[in-house]
Amino acid sequence: MASASSSTTPAAGSSRSNQDAELLPPIPKSNAILVIGMAGSGKSTLAGALSRHLEAEAAKRNPSAASSDPSASSSDASYLVNLDPAVSTLNYEPNVDIRDTVDYKRVMDEYNLGPNGGILTALNLFTTKFDQVMGILEGRSNEVDNIILDTPGQIEIFTWSASGTIITDSLASALPTCIAYVVDTPRTTAPATFMSNMLYACSIMYKTKLPFIIVFNKEDEQDAGFAREWMEDFEAFQEALNKGNATDQVDVGRGNPRARGAAGQEGEASYMNSLVNSMALLLEEFYNSIRAVSVSSLTGSGMPSFLSAVQEARQEYVDEYRPELEALRASRKQKQEERKKREVEKMMRDLRVKPSGKAAPKAATGARGGGGEVDDDDEEDPRITRMADRMRVPGYEGDGLIMEPDDDDVLLQTHGAAQTQAGQVPRRGGAQRGEGEDLASVGQRRREEQLARARLG
Amino acid sequence: MGRYAVFISGPAGSGKSTLCSALIAHANTLGRNVHLVNLDPAAEHFTYTPTIDVRELVSLQDVMSELGLGPNGGLVYCFEYLLENLDWLEEQLGSFEDDYLIVDCPGQIELYTHTNLVQRVLSFLAVSHSFRLCQLYLLESHFVDDVTKFFAGTLSAMSAMINLEVPWINVLSKVDLLSRGTVGSTSSASGTSLAARRSLERYLDPDPLLLASSANASTNPRLHALNAAVVRLVDDFSVVHFLPSDANDEQSVGTLLSHIDHAMQYGEDEEPKEPRDMDRFEDEGDGPGDEQEEVERDFEDLLSGRSGVAGAGGIEI
Repeated sequence: MASASSSTTPAAGSSRSNQDAELLPPIPKSNAILVIGMAGSGKSTLAGALSRHLEAEAAKRNPSAASSDPSASSSDASYLVNLDPAVSTLNYEPNVDIRDTVDYKRVMDEYNLGPNGGILTALNLFTTKFDQVMGILEGRSNEVDNIILDTPGQIEIFTWSASGTIITDSLASALPTCIAYVVDTPRTTAPATFMSNMLYACSIMYKTKLPFIIVFNKEDEQDAGFAREWMEDFEAFQEALNKGNATDQVDVGRGNPRARGAAGQEGEASYMNSLVNSMALLLEEFYNSIRAVSVSSLTGSGMPSFLSAVQEARQEYVDEYRPELEALRASRKQKQEERKKREVEKMMRDLRVKPSGKAAPKAATGARGGGGEVDDDDEEDPRITRMADRMRVPGYEGDGLIMEPDDDDVLLQTHGAAQTQAGQVPRRGGAQRGEGEDLASVGQRRREEQLARARLG
Repeated sequence: MGRYAVFISGPAGSGKSTLCSALIAHANTLGRNVHLVNLDPAAEHFTYTPTIDVRELVSLQDVMSELGLGPNGGLVYCFEYLLENLDWLEEQLGSFEDDYLIVDCPGQIELYTHTNLVQRVLSFLAVSHSFRLCQLYLLESHFVDDVTKFFAGTLSAMSAMINLEVPWINVLSKVDLLSRGTVGSTSSASGTSLAARRSLERYLDPDPLLLASSANASTNPRLHALNAAVVRLVDDFSVVHFLPSDANDEQSVGTLLSHIDHAMQYGEDEEPKEPRDMDRFEDEGDGPGDEQEEVERDFEDLLSGRSGVAGAGGIEI
């Protein structure tokens, strides 16, 4: 009864996880890969290269299928979404394209905006319809292996905007999502630029809280060995940083008076040095929590290692992100139910005629015929439950949970203290009902739960 | 007095141009002569006409239409064009003895990290023209609504800071939006405003222990060491602290201006002025010594009343 693909929650193992699994659908087959990076780092090129690689791999696996029905194999291997409204030509054919929905040049004209404003507004407009996109993606999410999303050229239009956040969160709550942060390797060979880029990556990781992959792109032009060395050997990085003009690698005649000078004349104690060293220490911790690969989207090299990083990221999502999501959903659902309960009670009270003040209104599971005034919101009045039962029509917001006497107070009064001391309080008079469930299915569920408990216990 | 320039930078839409106008308006009421410089080829319109505007040299719209470049490539092209024609900038700057410039910079972080264009403009000003510089980094305050987002904001500020070795001030803009409770709140407006402001204050003067524990509560244990490292950084270096700003509130803008002045040591070089008639002071309230007094007074207020507010981090070299 527990979610079929959930291979990860045995550790949780309690009835709670089984219950929560009902709240979320089973984990889909697809991985969503959000390709993020600075303008010019090669996001779109990478998306295209990845998709071609995946198709080639799929064709190798089913050569017959490929020859007979090429469109089927290609669409199963990868699914491409373009979120950049201002890109002119793409080297891949996107399945979903923001440019089909929004014309950013028209947006600029219509709202009298400049290019930045136009892109941001175009993305905002698209985001208002993103639920439809999510519907499409979820529909394909058990057929397709990888869904690749190409983000706008300028990174902060996505990372520091409300739309970007909405898109990221919507994706992450439905599919195993990971962030592929593309680095323009040839342009980050200066230590300070490298650090700046890594700090920015760290900032994105904190903002999205999703599994993170650093992709050193353009390895055909600049080998990423230096990056690996700096990431693995902290001392080497520090040495490179403190050596002279760390912020600029090739510019002649820069003459920055604030350069640290040859061999760190200022000494290790200068403010800048000390700040930079602390930042470098921070980065060391950062590297421990992410994974990095090196690819070339031009030649297509490095794709297998990227894909295995994606698999690792998926596992991380399933192990860490998903349980948090489930807990969040459970608590939110609980709050929602409590609120509904209160509202229905309030409504019942308003509808009811005031009785003659009789004591002992707390006979929820016991004397159903009794009843007096309900004093406060948490008390159960059997008349409320009867009314609720009668009112439970399809589409009605209320649920069958009103039957629950959750407080032990109620039970104490009806069953006496002795039983509670023995620890035998039957917490639920009948069964705990899910939303809109009827008694028959509740009974079945309880049996299943007991079975599950027996299996795990 | 000397020549001073403060560069206003930050992600797109964070409120740079608005803040520039607010700072100029405030400075004008103080009787100070400040000029707006626009370095953003993609800027749209300004409340105050810039004294120096790079769009007179080259504009993004023109580049995009004439050369068929997209917005990103076009921006880089504009900047490279500017660097090749720095003599134009020199001509515009002239050779005044006293100058106070507020420079509106483009938002794209790529210009700072991937090209050294902005660095070169800064060094051009500092070296060839002996400007005192300061950089302001703006982030929208409503993005900082929990600890991890605060970390993200701090880290992105640091990321930008590391490339430009100038005195640095971090600012959380649009705090007035928080108090109006317009951003994603379900509770009543007044309730939200107080809560929102209080939660923001938590990040303006962060308590390291509290920060660490709330970060650890909301992140995976795997990240706890990283959280500790970030908190250590925030605690050790006040340069990563944020100042709140509300462009519509004169007091807020005034405080910000004081911080900027302090970072550049504006006013420190002032020669003692000839004492003027006390009567005139009282009548006009606009005497030459007033500026400096006001700045000093602001400082005393800051130090005594709001000692919690972090100083404008100066990277003094």
